[in-house]
Amino acid sequence: MKEHLRAQLAGFFISVTLINVAMFVLGNILQPDLRFGYEAFAYPLIYGVIGSLPGLVMFSKKELTMKQTIIREIIQMLLIVILIITFMFGRFKSIEYEMIPQIIAVAVSVMIIYVLVNVFGWLIDLKTANKMTEELKKYQAKASGK
Amino acid sequence: MDITVKKIGETEKEYIEIGCHKKDERIDEIIRFIRSREGILKGTKEDRQYSIALPDILYIEAVDEKTFIYLENDCYESGRRLYEFEEALVTRNFARISKSVVVNLMKITSIKPSLNGRFSCVLTNGEQVIISRKYVPDIREKLRGGTV
Repeated sequence: MKEHLRAQLAGFFISVTLINVAMFVLGNILQPDLRFGYEAFAYPLIYGVIGSLPGLVMFSKKELTMKQTIIREIIQMLLIVILIITFMFGRFKSIEYEMIPQIIAVAVSVMIIYVLVNVFGWLIDLKTANKMTEELKKYQAKASGK
Repeated sequence: MDITVKKIGETEKEYIEIGCHKKDERIDEIIRFIRSREGILKGTKEDRQYSIALPDILYIEAVDEKTFIYLENDCYESGRRLYEFEEALVTRNFARISKSVVVNLMKITSIKPSLNGRFSCVLTNGEQVIISRKYVPDIREKLRGGTV
């Protein structure tokens, strides 16, 4: 569980950074004239927390197979999309036609951010794995008396 | 049969070479004996018990209530629990890499990242075994010379 929480925390900080980028890009495209107050600084953190909540779905005491992991990743991503859209557009009583492109843009952004968070996490793990392989080779050389 | 013992330098890897006309049962017996000096485990296969040399083992896996010892092209069952193997092999080149697997570190060719924050190790026979993130610090400690 401790390891899972640590991974979730790393994912949270990567998400917050990427949400900032997404807000900057989407804001400039969809509503370039909109101005915010200081509360705008809190949004990436709030979205980061919302995005981290479905991570609990991923926690399993059992060792998951590759297939189970992929299914859970997809479920987690869809849950994040639903939660973020509900948080952003839930206050509106009905969905106007003009809001549909915004909803689609947010959904696509969330999916891109989700994939990127996983890619960055994987790249960090790749570095660790390469270091471990190096350490392993040294260990094997030492153990076999080379 | 002549027996030659040659002293080699400290930095060289120790080896045993057998010169024979044909690799028969007699030679296999000598090989089994030499391997047994490096440690053996007992395993059963089709109701017959076998002695398995530690350097030949790829990994030991617990599946449900059973424990299996995997070799390059073979698999044996054991009555011992995984934690017993883990304890018995702690000073050898073995390490616990997940809840259900103890691996022979000498049989790993590389380590790769896997999905969901886990790693997988590629073994000498091409097989991949999952490493849980939980065990990574202990494995690294062992690789760096610790006795975890």
